[in-house]
Amino acid sequence: MGDPKERKDGGKELDITFFHRDLLEVPEDGTLPYLKGYRCIKCGQLDFPKMDLCPNCWGEEFESVALSRKGKLYSYADIYVGQPGMKTPYIIGYIDLPENIRIFSMLEGTVGSFRCDDDVELTVEPIRLNKDGSPIISYKFKKASA
Amino acid sequence: MKLQRDVYIAGVGETVFGKSKKDFDALGREAAYQALKNSNIDRPEIVQSAYVGNAQNGIVTGQTIFKDLGFVGKIPIINVESACSSGGMAVHLAIKDVACGLTEASIGVGAENLTLRRETGTAAMPAMNDIETMHGAVMTGKYSMRATRYLYETGATIEDLALVTVKNRKHATNNPHAWFKGKISVEEVVNSRMIAYPLTLHQCCPVADGAGAVVVCSKDMVNKLGIEKPIKVAGTVVTSGPYHNRPRDITGDDITEMTSILLYEESGIGPEDVDIVELHDAFTIAELLYYECMHFCKKGEGLKFLRDGQSTYGGKCVFSARGGMLSCGHPIGATGAAQVAANAKQLRGECKGYQVEPIPKVAMSHVTGGGLSGTEHAACTMHMIVADW
Repeated sequence: MGDPKERKDGGKELDITFFHRDLLEVPEDGTLPYLKGYRCIKCGQLDFPKMDLCPNCWGEEFESVALSRKGKLYSYADIYVGQPGMKTPYIIGYIDLPENIRIFSMLEGTVGSFRCDDDVELTVEPIRLNKDGSPIISYKFKKASA
Repeated sequence: MKLQRDVYIAGVGETVFGKSKKDFDALGREAAYQALKNSNIDRPEIVQSAYVGNAQNGIVTGQTIFKDLGFVGKIPIINVESACSSGGMAVHLAIKDVACGLTEASIGVGAENLTLRRETGTAAMPAMNDIETMHGAVMTGKYSMRATRYLYETGATIEDLALVTVKNRKHATNNPHAWFKGKISVEEVVNSRMIAYPLTLHQCCPVADGAGAVVVCSKDMVNKLGIEKPIKVAGTVVTSGPYHNRPRDITGDDITEMTSILLYEESGIGPEDVDIVELHDAFTIAELLYYECMHFCKKGEGLKFLRDGQSTYGGKCVFSARGGMLSCGHPIGATGAAQVAANAKQLRGECKGYQVEPIPKVAMSHVTGGGLSGTEHAACTMHMIVADW
């Protein structure tokens, strides 16, 4: 999991393999990964993903907040015809977190196995291949363990 | 936007929609030339500004279209892009020029050729710099999630969704501009290839090419041109999609509801007075939800409205009289302008074989535009036009 735009010895710029440090924290000490919300210091509004400015008050400073790892699957779609270059079928969904935040995410699991209002939890997985053919790691959600 | 003075549609043009070997510029020129002739305009000097909606065919699309019509060097030609709303927005801007007194006659065009350039077997998607696109978002998927939640909450079935395609294809049967038309059964719709559950192939608008054009002008100019059946623009509204990454009800559509209310206020015409509607039926679920968002029926009663025949001939209001996107296909930047053109022809009673009877007096059109994370749509454009003779 390198930094965005890491460089090879020959100076050739490689495409990203991790998306994105502002969104997803994967602690190196082995504790559980989490999504990063941003609370505006000026007005207190919590947003995900990070915005350049707080759209509510134009606040420029934010405090990072670890978002809940579990949420409810509001709706989902089994995609059979997808984006160019993406292997099908794959699954996308909206996950509502207790912090009143909705996350758009891919779902880890098999098509036909999800239902609205399922309990789901965060997982870290490849979402697609980059321009060099290497996997890009990001957040996904899967059915929550009981 | 309150119109500063009366604006009229003098003439309209639309090409056949479908797969075309003609590129966007030839299609756009064909629709524009039709609209100009239909307006009794016989030389390039009358029209004072042009707006051209296109989403995916590159740069200076408008100038490319209008070069052969002798417009370049004479008037400002402004290119307009907001994905599926582009053509509707171009017409909106032409109306605005006349309404503000900047011009006496302007033209709005929407033109697009998608099939000459597109990779087959893939779905349309929002821009790659969008966080949702990075995570696999495609337009079919966004609508599929709406459908999934709608079926979950209401107990409706895929067969119910399929009724929208059956109706719109029937409306298109004799429309020479439509592509997929005529009889299709619920079973054929449901059993066609799965695109994004529960949306099967025949519940998705075909990827198509085409163009539409609308000439608008002042009352003085309508008289000068000798237009026998001038159509008054009662209202035109463009909105941008509200942003919030919070839980929200996607069996509604905040931007369509907001835009409809603004249009009803601006035009002084409510849904009970609208005779025909062309809406953004890119997927079956959309038409069902929009009956409700546009307040033609109560929330949760869209399916009943459809089943009771309220959205077809003899019902409260005929939706997708030209066959909608589900029959005509959806050349992204063209549709919004073509909808206005098709509605104008219905008001003038010129739609032999697919004319709504009795001849409608009030027509509404609606195109949303674009996927943008945190919004239902990036844009929405609506028009209300009325017969005025």
